[in-house]
Amino acid sequence: MILQGIAASGGVGLGRAVCVREEKLDYSGVAYSGKESEKDRLQAALEEFEDRTDAMAKRIRERVGEKEAEILIGQITMLADPFMHSQMEEAIDNGSCAEAAVDAICTMYADMFAGVEDELMRQRATDVRDIRDRLLAVLLGVTGVDLSQLPAGSVLVARDLTPSMTVGLSRENIAGILTEVGGRTSHSAILARALELPAVLSVPKALDLIKDGDGLIVDGSEGKAILNPDESTRAGYLKRQQEFFARRAALEVYRDRATVDADGKVYHLYANIGSVAEAEAAAQSGAEGIGLFRTEFLFMNRTSLPDEGVQYEAYQAVSKIMAGKEVIIRTLDVGGDKAIEYLGMDKEDNPFLGHRAIRYCLDRPELYKVQLRALLRAGAGEKNIKIMLPLVTCVEEVRAARELLDQCKDELDAEGLPYDRDIKVGIMAETPSAALIADLLAKESDFFSIGTNDLTQYTMAVDRGNAKVEKLYKTFQPSVLRSIRNVIAAAKEAGIPVGMCGEAAADPCLAPLLMTWGLDEFSVSISSVLDTRANIHRWRGEKAKRVTQEAMGLSTAAGVEGYLSAAVSD
Amino acid sequence: MVSAKTKVINPQGMHMRPAQVFVGEMGKFKCDVTLLCNGKTINAKSIMNLMAACIKQGCEIEIQCSGEQENEALARAVELVDSGLGDL
Repeated sequence: MILQGIAASGGVGLGRAVCVREEKLDYSGVAYSGKESEKDRLQAALEEFEDRTDAMAKRIRERVGEKEAEILIGQITMLADPFMHSQMEEAIDNGSCAEAAVDAICTMYADMFAGVEDELMRQRATDVRDIRDRLLAVLLGVTGVDLSQLPAGSVLVARDLTPSMTVGLSRENIAGILTEVGGRTSHSAILARALELPAVLSVPKALDLIKDGDGLIVDGSEGKAILNPDESTRAGYLKRQQEFFARRAALEVYRDRATVDADGKVYHLYANIGSVAEAEAAAQSGAEGIGLFRTEFLFMNRTSLPDEGVQYEAYQAVSKIMAGKEVIIRTLDVGGDKAIEYLGMDKEDNPFLGHRAIRYCLDRPELYKVQLRALLRAGAGEKNIKIMLPLVTCVEEVRAARELLDQCKDELDAEGLPYDRDIKVGIMAETPSAALIADLLAKESDFFSIGTNDLTQYTMAVDRGNAKVEKLYKTFQPSVLRSIRNVIAAAKEAGIPVGMCGEAAADPCLAPLLMTWGLDEFSVSISSVLDTRANIHRWRGEKAKRVTQEAMGLSTAAGVEGYLSAAVSD
Repeated sequence: MVSAKTKVINPQGMHMRPAQVFVGEMGKFKCDVTLLCNGKTINAKSIMNLMAACIKQGCEIEIQCSGEQENEALARAVELVDSGLGDL
């Protein structure tokens, strides 16, 4: 039986299922034993919680990292609140047993945090619920599964990974992870990638379908799991797993190396991220900077615009994590297929050709300036933030954005708030128009970054979600390649840096072309960083140049792709 | 009761660490410490309430101390907030 989920952490894990069900924290059978006795029970539980959590934090610090340990230390700090203790004791005075007091007060605070405007503060609600459940477990004498005691080859199946569960996770005994909730940027996904454990998340009803001891394969690259596989399926995956391990071991040598080709020419290798948490993972992945920080996550899953403070905190957090390295932040790329309800955008007949990205933002200056101000201020500390404008098609758009940025600077000067006066402003080159007038745009931009996904879609006039025309969507189309070449040439001519943050930047077949044309920076997904560094390492300038000349002399996408595939494996 | 008005200047506002610094120091005094901010009245010896109040950089706050050592507590509170709560 095949279970579909989200590919959250690459690799293949084979083993036996271990289901971690939520502990039953039912205290309806607990009798009230009197004020003093209940308060003593509460006090003992608080102390036990602190000891356990402190021990967990120590283990996590050693095995995963400081950042993960901090979550637990924060929980101890929160629970040390004397005012909260007195509220729990008051509940006990009013006739609640210790369990009911803990439940009521923690739930009250969790709801309070869940309702606040500040995105980062809202996440504290998860902490308070974790505190509540673990305090109740201590009081009820329920011992959770100690994951570190599981036999090797266990595939963990759970609703979600809690911070406290992460202690026992290790590559020695856990072969893979499967959960019912969570996406690519959830805490669980990031942790799984940090531990390099294959993970498939968001498999509905996994705990109903899977039983302890079931044979289970987790394919974290494809985002699926195979329950009770037959012998030939198992053998096939076992082979894939061995190949994956061998590949990973071979790539490991590239983690701390510079990104250079075989002649020693240096390139920049950056990562694309979509959340603050991913910045941590990027920093550990061997990436030398952030080539694309998508800011849409700040605007999604909420009912009103994030204010300047909320945006500032997110940008500044990434800036700090990447201190000393560049962080290119793309301003709100809304519209097209990314709708945000509260913005009240009209339904359009052709959303990809409509009121989206920079077009929308320039027409809503009051909204756009909030983001620009947050970016300017966040750049004040490390001075490593660069602003990238999405979907630029003409010079006027760059000028209008710069005009708004100047207004923001004047305001910040008047308010006496610190900001990065010299912040760089560049464009995402992702429209045929931008490719054709790249020389004009280069005069008004501090840098270019080529977005190949939209560039391919717009150049080929093809909706890649439409199966009937999808085959036209190829970066290998000579028209798309010529556009890329033109953008890089214009940047070189103007003396500004040029990068690429689309999927093509990680394509080994395109590396020789991009290197020959003079691309300065490759920005790829976190999981492709080491692969890309290894690809670049393989090429000599002379050979890449020959391959490029040959490829650009061909007249079809299939011809180019076929030739490059052969040349790369040569 | 004594009180004073000031402004939160550290970039993070009352997030975990700055709040921890503030609450830790205020816990050393016997008097009640209360913050008034954005129309809310917050027990400033409680880290949970302080964080949940979402006090940000630039927020105007009024600090009230009432009881034993109130003058010392107020002076220390203002000093902490004005020095950026270890977050500058």
